[in-house]
Amino acid sequence: MSIPVEWYLILSAFLFIIGAAGVMARRNMFIVLFSIELMMNAVNLNLVGFSRFHENLIGQNFVLFTMTVAAAEAAVGLAIVTALFRNKKTLMVDLFDTMKG
Amino acid sequence: MAEKFFFIVFAALAVAGALGVITRSNIVHALLLLVFTFLNVAAIYMLTQAYFLAVIQILVYAGAILVLFAFVVMFLNLREFMEQEQLHRSQRWVVLVLAPIMLAEFVFVALGITWASIGGGMGPEAVAAAGGNVRAVGMVLFNDMLLPFEVASLILLVSMVGAIVLAKKEDAGNMALREWTGEEESAQVLVDQEV
Repeated sequence: MSIPVEWYLILSAFLFIIGAAGVMARRNMFIVLFSIELMMNAVNLNLVGFSRFHENLIGQNFVLFTMTVAAAEAAVGLAIVTALFRNKKTLMVDLFDTMKG
Repeated sequence: MAEKFFFIVFAALAVAGALGVITRSNIVHALLLLVFTFLNVAAIYMLTQAYFLAVIQILVYAGAILVLFAFVVMFLNLREFMEQEQLHRSQRWVVLVLAPIMLAEFVFVALGITWASIGGGMGPEAVAAAGGNVRAVGMVLFNDMLLPFEVASLILLVSMVGAIVLAKKEDAGNMALREWTGEEESAQVLVDQEV
């Protein structure tokens, strides 16, 4: 055991919290999507760290599926962004208030 | 020892890049900093001896997904949004309070638990004996996880169709009423014929 598993957890916690803060604080829709990608990467880091710690390759395989879902999410999210931009002419998430949420 | 040193270096760079992503007002700068963060995460995968994932992280994440983002950023004219207010008015204070609390909770839990490794599975020696990381990961992927692998391809197909439908430009002809005629051209666009 070279690198303690706690280090992975703490780095992953930092990246996840930064991503969550970006989702909550920023108005720009692109930055929100970037922050979601950051959070997914934090989770991947956790999976890889535990995969190494428990000497089991299932975790590394699960990261592949997370990346698949991230690719799907990026494609659909960007399509939604372009459709919204075409209709509303803005990217600020608080201006998409048609449903008064 | 060298591994720990490099882990700290790459982790610090990754966190710095991530902080840059959520603080830049220029979207292109934020995107490039996100690529930088992902490259550092790939380096940490390399230190963890997850070689296949490190390459995939660079190829798929930094190479494909973020280039897709870059394409869309370049397509849209975003310059006017960089001068506007970038933060929510009241939510930013909530974030300033909540984010450190959540971070403290995560670190408290991570350090408070004595983690015990199951061990004895695919350690570095066993992976080397099995023919390397790529081969070992592939053996698990195509034996234990064959069904999830196929389902993942289905997810990609569905998201591809969804992305095309959502991003397609809708003109009046495509949205016109269609009528079932029962002839060879099963669905004819009536408006197109009349106009």
